[in-house]
Amino acid sequence: MDLYQCDVAIVGAGGAGLRAAIAVAERDPRLRIALISKVYPMRSHTVAAEGGAAAVTQAHDSLEAHFHDTVAGGDWLCEQDVVDDFVSHAREELVQMEHWGCPWSRKDDGHVNVRAFGGMKIERTWFAADKTGFHMLHTLFQTSIKYPSIRRFDEHFCIDLLQDDGRFQGVLALEIATGTFRCIQAKSVIIATGGAGRVFRENTNGGIVTGDGRALAFRHGVPLRDMEFVQYHPTCMPGTGLLFTEACRGEGGFLLNKDGYRYLQDYGLGPAEPTPRNKAMELGPRDRLSQAYWHEKQKGRTIQGPHGDVVHLDLRHLGEKKLRERLPQIYELAVEYLGVDPAKSPIPVLPAVHYTMGGILADGNTAAPMPGLYSVGECSSVGIHGANRLGSNSLTELLVFGKKAGESAAAHAASLSHADTSRVEALAQAALGCARTLVDRHDGRERIATLRREMAQTMEDGCGIYRSEQPLKATCDKLAELKERYRHVQLDDHSTAWNTEWLLAIELGYQLDVAQAMAHSALERRESRGSHQRLDGYEERDDAQFLKHSLAHYAGNDVPRISHAAVTITHSPPGTRAYGAAGEQAEAVRLAAEQHHD
Amino acid sequence: MTEARAWPEQVEIDVLRYRPETDDHPVWQRYTVPFDVDMSVLQALQHIKDEDDGTLSFRWSCRMAICGSCGMMINGNPALSCKTFVRDLLPGPVRIEALAHFPIERDLVVAIDGFVKKLESVKPYLIPEHPRALSDGERLQTPEQLEHFEQFSSCINCLLCYAACPQFGLDPEFTGPGALALLHRYNADSRDAGRAQRMAVLNAEQGVWSCTAVGYCSVVCPKGVDPANAVNQNKVNSAVDYFLRFVTNRREQS
Amino acid sequence: MKPGPAARRPYVRPMTGWWRRDPYFVRYMVREATAVAVAVYAVILTAGVVSLARGEAAWDHWLAALRTPASIALHVVLLVAMVIHAKSWFEIMPKTMPMILVGHRRLQAKTITRVGWAAAAIASLLVTWLAWRWWT
Repeated sequence: MDLYQCDVAIVGAGGAGLRAAIAVAERDPRLRIALISKVYPMRSHTVAAEGGAAAVTQAHDSLEAHFHDTVAGGDWLCEQDVVDDFVSHAREELVQMEHWGCPWSRKDDGHVNVRAFGGMKIERTWFAADKTGFHMLHTLFQTSIKYPSIRRFDEHFCIDLLQDDGRFQGVLALEIATGTFRCIQAKSVIIATGGAGRVFRENTNGGIVTGDGRALAFRHGVPLRDMEFVQYHPTCMPGTGLLFTEACRGEGGFLLNKDGYRYLQDYGLGPAEPTPRNKAMELGPRDRLSQAYWHEKQKGRTIQGPHGDVVHLDLRHLGEKKLRERLPQIYELAVEYLGVDPAKSPIPVLPAVHYTMGGILADGNTAAPMPGLYSVGECSSVGIHGANRLGSNSLTELLVFGKKAGESAAAHAASLSHADTSRVEALAQAALGCARTLVDRHDGRERIATLRREMAQTMEDGCGIYRSEQPLKATCDKLAELKERYRHVQLDDHSTAWNTEWLLAIELGYQLDVAQAMAHSALERRESRGSHQRLDGYEERDDAQFLKHSLAHYAGNDVPRISHAAVTITHSPPGTRAYGAAGEQAEAVRLAAEQHHD
Repeated sequence: MTEARAWPEQVEIDVLRYRPETDDHPVWQRYTVPFDVDMSVLQALQHIKDEDDGTLSFRWSCRMAICGSCGMMINGNPALSCKTFVRDLLPGPVRIEALAHFPIERDLVVAIDGFVKKLESVKPYLIPEHPRALSDGERLQTPEQLEHFEQFSSCINCLLCYAACPQFGLDPEFTGPGALALLHRYNADSRDAGRAQRMAVLNAEQGVWSCTAVGYCSVVCPKGVDPANAVNQNKVNSAVDYFLRFVTNRREQS
Repeated sequence: MKPGPAARRPYVRPMTGWWRRDPYFVRYMVREATAVAVAVYAVILTAGVVSLARGEAAWDHWLAALRTPASIALHVVLLVAMVIHAKSWFEIMPKTMPMILVGHRRLQAKTITRVGWAAAAIASLLVTWLAWRWWT
């Protein structure tokens, strides 16, 4: 086992990890940074994000408006002080990206353009064609090359966090190409490992989105917050789950059922108008759109396809020229994967899991309760998304909190010296042993793919768009059974160099722990809020009992223990979460009440 | 797309295997996979790994041709396995091999650290003329100025262009189409002023001058980056720079 | 399988016969070979100029050599090679040029190729007409 000592170790080199690394390097070039990623940075799943990044830009927009959209979008489960901080730093981060070369799409006068996005009252989403995540990731990666203090460990898989006496001291990483274990001792550890959508059957995520960092933090005693909130993106490709960006709807696309009817007007999002209107119809928030699909399906008004029931995303009225100019990637996806020309036919779509709102408990500076650990990006829960994330808030989140994480971790590292290396190495050796048991086993009996499929199916059944007690309990039981069977997983591959089956097995273990946290948190939330909707007597939001975060605590072989914690409410008391015409009415009432207060 | 035709039940997939711990050289191995009309080559490989042979190693992630992980040779052509459909390769057997011109680490995984070093060597970051405060807001750039470089910024680093480039195959030190396209992207960005600092890479023997305009790189590029254009238009720039340096005694920056 | 790290042992595939692997490479090699035809024709023309400088006898000798069946056969081959050379050059020519925006629209590669062909056609017609004028 090799030893490498640094000041800040960052696990995950997507948008958040890279931004954090740059922040550390800029704050103090003498600090040594280890940037550890199981894939080359440009493969990180940030690359697939399409729509854009939000920040208050136009003169008639305000931080208060962005704050309110976010808090209402999150169904009042957001940490409002953190949201305040977030919206106030958003613009400077996007300008920073522009200074670093990000090719933001422009207006004719040369200023950055903004577009409408679901749940946002005023257009504030910066975008780079329909590949914003791609351009942001490549800009960050290429910019990171400027800083010699960032040492990258590309294609190094994180096997475990090293925690001694409550304090996080580094990570154990596996060099995938050779099977060499590397003990990376650090004074601060930042986890930026992304989401966990792969625990579900239909998802937009890449193969690497398996909740690694969440599971590791969880196992080391850090609570996972609000895990029951899982975002379904309403317009995804049947079969693969690949994403058709929200920008399709921002540009004016319609969602039609089998009668060619814009059904969203039946679900409180109307009235239907020919051009897009913010926070109405197809620009409503994602959870409401996915729920509308589910209801249409129950009513038999969806269209049966070879990969499930679909609705139609109609972009024909945009015309080929506009489609190729504003939505070129969508055009390509539809034509190549589905053989559908969006200028001539509607695209079949259905909801698939896209984002996991919950994650590692983190305060407004991204710090975990235990010293030495920070988390940022989709893997963390700093508290800005609440019960439902608004599109284009998460790309901005990577930047605002990536910077905070880097600065917090740097400050912490600068205040300490390294702990006893021999103790850290001993911890690493123990973790190494556990990993080797998996690959050396010859008497197992379960195949990885079988367990993974059963996990994904049960999560889809019990933890889907709508939840009920019995299916949730069944899912919890099934997950417990899968965890037991996982102890007997058998690999075909016992080699050491580029053994990706070994990695899949370890990832499955992470996913099972994360799935359990999700399912049990969902079971214990006996209300409906945001993306967590129940049909078993808990159809309404219950602020009296459940205006609280859920916290999942790891209990080893036992099921996770769920507790609840208060939400920080500063200046937006819980109101009605309404969109469409009803939303405009509610907004007017709210503003009148506010003016009355002043 | 799916006309009524008789699709087969199964298809054969031949994969070039290589296990560094046990094999002296690569060997072909045949698998049989159930056929589905919208199955991609990647899905076929995943089926093999999940159900038949967990020892088959290959890179993949996004499944939508944006992460650049899954480049490989499919029936002799450089292609992304997530975007290549088995129905277009029938009746089979489909021959799959690691990306050409790169050393094979294992099975379909090639060593790309050489490329990453080249990417780092072209100074792929904005070098502005004057620093600018965040409070001054964004630098202005018209849609026309953006058009000059946007295409070259679309590279997903999939390396299909390197597999298509015989000059790179013959000389692995050639900086190559992808890295040079990225270099050009920054030179062509109206906000950048670092052209002089990147000249050394362009002018080198293994810069643009190793390119003989085969043009295959641009044909195989899945994102329309047109690296052949990026490289060849810079031959003029390189020649002009050389001439000017010769005439004015300007020293080459590095 | 023994535990512990394995050294990297990448396998480098040989490049022998690389140009036969792909039809695109074969076409590329044919294109490169046509440069030989250009060189050969340049030598023939140079010989003609030298013969002209040497006087009438040498000049007539050179013209006679050109009229032999072998020479005519060679010239047919050279002509075919020249056409292939021109075609492949016009196809690759747009790659050597920077992006040109006319109004707000980009000048297409195929436009540049067509301009090249047009120029070649006009030049060929002009030369043929001159030759015919001189001959008759």
